[in-house]
Amino acid sequence: MEMKKVPLTKQKWFQVLFWILFIIVAWEVGASVVAVTKRTPENVMPHLYQILAAAFSTKPVSSGMSATMVVLTSARATLLRAFGGFLLGAALGFVFALLMQMSKAVEKMIFPYLMLIQLIPVLGLAPIVLAITGDINKSRIIIAAILSFYPVANNTLAGFKSVSKERYELMATYAAKKYQIYGKVLIPAASPYFFTGLKIAAPLAVTASILVDTLQGDGGLGCMLSQSLKHAMSIYVFWLIVFFSAFVGIFSTYLISFIEFITSPAKRAAWNGRSLEKKHRRAAMKAARKEYRKEKEDGRDLISQTCSENKA
Amino acid sequence: MANAVMERSAQTMDVESKEVEIRVDHLGVTFQDNEGNDVQALTNVNLTVHKGEFVSLLGPSGCGKTTLLRCVADLQEPTEGEIKVGGKTPREIRMAQKFGFVFQQPVLFDWRTVKKNVELPLEMMYQTKERRSKRADEMLEMVGLTNFANHYPGQLSGGMQQRVNIARALGIRPDILLMDEPFSALDEFTKEKLHEDLLRIWSKTNKTILFVTHNIQEAVFLSDRVCVLSPHPGRLSAIVDITLPRPRTLDMRETPEFNELVRQVRDSFEGGSL
Amino acid sequence: MAETSFHKPVAKIKRKKSLAQRLSENKAVQQSSAIVLPVLLGVVIFALWQTQVLHKMFGTDVFTLPLPTKIASLFAQNLPAVWINSLATIKAAGLGLLFGSILGYVVAILATFFPDMGKGGLYLVGAFASIPIAALAPVMNNWTKDVSSTASVRSMVSKILVVTLVCAADMTLNAYRGLTEVKPYSEDLMATYAASKRKLLFKLRIPNSVPYIFTALKVSVPASIMTAVVSEYFAEYIVGVGREIRENIVLSQYSIAWVYITAACIIGIVAYALLMLAQSILMKKFKPV
Repeated sequence: MEMKKVPLTKQKWFQVLFWILFIIVAWEVGASVVAVTKRTPENVMPHLYQILAAAFSTKPVSSGMSATMVVLTSARATLLRAFGGFLLGAALGFVFALLMQMSKAVEKMIFPYLMLIQLIPVLGLAPIVLAITGDINKSRIIIAAILSFYPVANNTLAGFKSVSKERYELMATYAAKKYQIYGKVLIPAASPYFFTGLKIAAPLAVTASILVDTLQGDGGLGCMLSQSLKHAMSIYVFWLIVFFSAFVGIFSTYLISFIEFITSPAKRAAWNGRSLEKKHRRAAMKAARKEYRKEKEDGRDLISQTCSENKA
Repeated sequence: MANAVMERSAQTMDVESKEVEIRVDHLGVTFQDNEGNDVQALTNVNLTVHKGEFVSLLGPSGCGKTTLLRCVADLQEPTEGEIKVGGKTPREIRMAQKFGFVFQQPVLFDWRTVKKNVELPLEMMYQTKERRSKRADEMLEMVGLTNFANHYPGQLSGGMQQRVNIARALGIRPDILLMDEPFSALDEFTKEKLHEDLLRIWSKTNKTILFVTHNIQEAVFLSDRVCVLSPHPGRLSAIVDITLPRPRTLDMRETPEFNELVRQVRDSFEGGSL
Repeated sequence: MAETSFHKPVAKIKRKKSLAQRLSENKAVQQSSAIVLPVLLGVVIFALWQTQVLHKMFGTDVFTLPLPTKIASLFAQNLPAVWINSLATIKAAGLGLLFGSILGYVVAILATFFPDMGKGGLYLVGAFASIPIAALAPVMNNWTKDVSSTASVRSMVSKILVVTLVCAADMTLNAYRGLTEVKPYSEDLMATYAASKRKLLFKLRIPNSVPYIFTALKVSVPASIMTAVVSEYFAEYIVGVGREIRENIVLSQYSIAWVYITAACIIGIVAYALLMLAQSILMKKFKPV
């Protein structure tokens, strides 16, 4: 029924809305099935309205706090550390990328280890970092920082490397100083790559922080999640945390895209220009395809006829 | 034979006693290819360019014409011989920011507006904001892009981008403009327009221009002299004086004199081992 | 070569290069430094670790951060146990990677068949990729409770499912790009042959997507191992490299935990090396023009 409105399906907001509705419907169908087949349906797949009700209920679930309060207070501990680690990792990633760009020797020395960090399951290190530091907050920050470090360093370095030879040579003809080349060419050119790294790093930092929570019963989203799973408090706290952390993970990447968008007027202008150009090109393609289809239907499509004749 | 031509042209110029801007003396460039073999990109090139002269370096790909230009601009070091620009080394001239270099690609910075792109080299010279802005406006007016000052390069056509490129190179008031096939990626209509623009700007500013191209008509139409280079090994095989009167107009391309010069340049290729 | 013989007698002004310049331009020096420098750094770290300077820097002791030699000897002693747990992790990561990549690729192909709505679905897949694994793993545990009466089987299914979802998201996004970002005009060329949608898929889109599959795998191979390790933390049945790290730390057996950390690193590195090998073999055939 919705699908019949053809122009709508071309619009991004409609496509996204459609798929969100699709997932909601699929979830509800699943929940209805689970409700009749399973003994404890709220553990497996509660109805979405039940989760919403739990979110808005004021009934205390743990030490006098409602479910939403529990989620938000523990989220504060987890997300602040995740954010701290993210900033630290991103800053270090940028600095290391800069160092590697400045010195070939440093690049050769560090780059293989940079690759290794990506290959090592860093989250597996979480318990040992906790053991070494002995402090859950420090561990959250460190693990989030290590995970954020790699994508930012790697992408920023790729951004520096993307600067073409001609741009260096142009700066050479102006007798530009080293710091001018960095400030006016390399860093602006690497900026989109840097943001791509941030977009990858942000959900990783959140994951890291939640995971470190589960290692020690000291508050935080992960800790509440484990307790709720062990039925120390309402199981709906678990579902709230699942949806909340999913939301935070998704939201973090969009937030960074937005920051990139507002900090770069060039990107904004280019985006406007590109979308215009795309629109024109798409319209032209569509017209051509339409004509082609019409010809084919009319049997005037000589090319395909000769092709099939040749094949025969 | 090639040497005789060069000696003669050097003599005649001395007689005219014009001020020498660029002197290329026994220049040779050798580099190693991937297998480690020595490849001679240029051997024994002698060339003199005078102040305010428009000289083209013409040749097929692989003849070393771009290498020669890059050596003059100090973007590459020659392995033999030497270059003097205004009596100084290319490096001294480059560090004094006296070169304007126009690449084949516009090499614009997509995060800067058109005007900011033109201002970029002026920033290297530590000019004040007001002076930069004023100079950029002048340059954009000269190339007819005043209305596009606040656009971003991605929003301009290829021809417009190349005009920004030229405006940027001229903005620093260079003594010498070095152009590396600046119009080869453009369509014929845009190219003709930019040829006229370039000649107009050149007559106004009286720069020395060294212009690399592989298009015979383009070289003949624009230049005072055309230096013909031949490949394997890259060398200067002839210099042809272009006697067409100035100012030049597009109609001149239809005249017998023009076609005769084009033929003469083309013949000088066949004289070499092409 | 009359030209060359001619210019020989002319006085040459050869430019001398400094030693540093010659060194930096020498190919052999360049190539060997790419190996020597990182090895040097590795040796320095190893030395700092073995001489316990590293411990002073981090303010820790040999109990929490055992010496490399001790980890190595313990690794050798516990080899059978390490092998069993590694196998469990490799199974979860490998099967999840396989199912996830296939699922992701199929979804990408479906998306190309319904360009408008399919593309919209991809925004959601992209968003899905940023859901924390720590939230996904317990949900899968709950959903697989009734799959089998044996705890080891249902835990494995749950782990594989989590890895599958994570890898599928990576593969869908990359494969869709590979299937749609074909060379300019190649679609038009196929149209002039009046190629059917099926022909277009097999002759153009799928071959074009091969390099993109490897782009996806370069992300999802390390991610699959990381995901497997993390889902082991939440799994019901106690097995796997990740779970052993955690269990041994809870029991304050730090040196054994380090043995499993080493195992996890080896799995990650070997898996990536295998991927690179597969790529170099396959891409020789599929070299994009």
